[in-house]
Amino acid sequence: MKQKIISLLEDALPLVDLNSDYLYSELDSLGVTTILMLLSEEYGIQLNSNDATPKNLKSIDSLVALVESKLAEK
Amino acid sequence: MILEDYININAEKYPQKVAIICNKENITYSQLLDKVLSRVSRFTEEGISKGDIVPLVSSRSIEYLVDYFAIHKIGAVAVPLEEGIPDELFNCITDRLSKYTVPDGTADILFTTGTTGKSKGVMISHKAIIADAENLIDSQLFCHDTVFIINGPLNHVGCLTKVFPLILLGATIYLIPGMKNAEDFFSALNYPSNKMATFLVPANIRILLQFSGDRLAEYADKIDFIETGAAPMSQSDMLKLCDILPNSRLYNTYASTETGIITTYNYNDGRCISGCLGKQMKHSKIIITENGTIACQGDTLMSGYVGDEEMTASILRNNTIFTSDIGELDSEGMLHLKGRKDDVINVGGFKVAPTEVEDVALSLPEVKDCICISASHPIMGNVLKLLVVLNEGCELDKKRIALYIKGKLEPYKVPMMYEAVEVIQRTFNGKINRKFYK
Repeated sequence: MKQKIISLLEDALPLVDLNSDYLYSELDSLGVTTILMLLSEEYGIQLNSNDATPKNLKSIDSLVALVESKLAEK
Repeated sequence: MILEDYININAEKYPQKVAIICNKENITYSQLLDKVLSRVSRFTEEGISKGDIVPLVSSRSIEYLVDYFAIHKIGAVAVPLEEGIPDELFNCITDRLSKYTVPDGTADILFTTGTTGKSKGVMISHKAIIADAENLIDSQLFCHDTVFIINGPLNHVGCLTKVFPLILLGATIYLIPGMKNAEDFFSALNYPSNKMATFLVPANIRILLQFSGDRLAEYADKIDFIETGAAPMSQSDMLKLCDILPNSRLYNTYASTETGIITTYNYNDGRCISGCLGKQMKHSKIIITENGTIACQGDTLMSGYVGDEEMTASILRNNTIFTSDIGELDSEGMLHLKGRKDDVINVGGFKVAPTEVEDVALSLPEVKDCICISASHPIMGNVLKLLVVLNEGCELDKKRIALYIKGKLEPYKVPMMYEAVEVIQRTFNGKINRKFYK
């Protein structure tokens, strides 16, 4: 799943360093929204603005954890 | 009277009234005046004096606004530049400006691509600032109790001009870092007032509707008005917002750095007319020229482009600004926008000349040819896309190109999308065939 998310985001956010442990600080509002949109479409999960926390968007690993927890709720 | 005189008036009339909120810090009008006066002393000691041109990097902070007001108080000219501007560009602009003098009464120089397709310093007078303020007060009903959330850059006409009526009226400015964390926005809406207002570009409205529509609806009784502008908004988003906020005034505005704020339309009027930008405001006049473009008159107009009389004369003649926007006036005198006549691309309210981006990209060794075009993004609306013809043996490295452009130009000029192509279409005389890509 991690590789899949990386390749999804690499295309959409060419300027962002996806390996960063400070991913959230690299994003602007569009970047945050793009991530929410792509992940909800790809995994059929419902994400909203409450999920766009610095903790959930800290790194690719935290995004994987977010998606997994949403999938588990389904 | 200049805008900053109203800080003195309001500090006397409403000393305890909150002037600015930022990062959980509040300052009253009395405190704002003290801060501005002490900054005036500091700047004066540092050698800034009347008529000086003072570049400053903008930020959404109390200190930035204090700097801005203090520069005006001294009689100097503020040049607010983009957050994240590369140092090289900041120094280049500072050097360039040091060679110029500006007319008396100039308050600001705002940098924009605007209607000419090249980065230009637009001179705004103190008179235009007051006229913009009065236009907004008269037509959007800004009032003393308004608490206005500013979430965008304070070097851009969309947000900077909201400071004007708020200071004039002794109202409250609520600064938030942006719309990245919706919590900042909703936390601002929790402020104890039912006269909350804000300016949101269409992309931000789309983001809110998509991810926080239900939450926004909970604030229906608190939101007095929301203004949008800068880029076309889809009618479905307009209708959704009317549905969520049935009692709020929702404005779509025609404004630009060069013209100031000219018309506005409350689309929550039961008709919700797409593309309508409403009637001319009290200090403004709209004319549709013979070739269908919009021309504007009135006190909000710029004084000219700094140091470029020729470029000024190309759009400002006989106290009239001739824009490249195509428009129509209906029988009610309402303006309808129909598109643009030139190649400038509007990205979330920022105007970008594609040639500027192409020139930078072409200086990369792997780029043989390229064109910067407008592409559609589900959230942002218009974004920049760079089509690249690569030299033989080279591969498309989006990140390298993006970072290279980011090092040379303002962040909003960096294309979001990249695609390798075999050839760029050109006309018979070798110019890029932009029509082919529209």
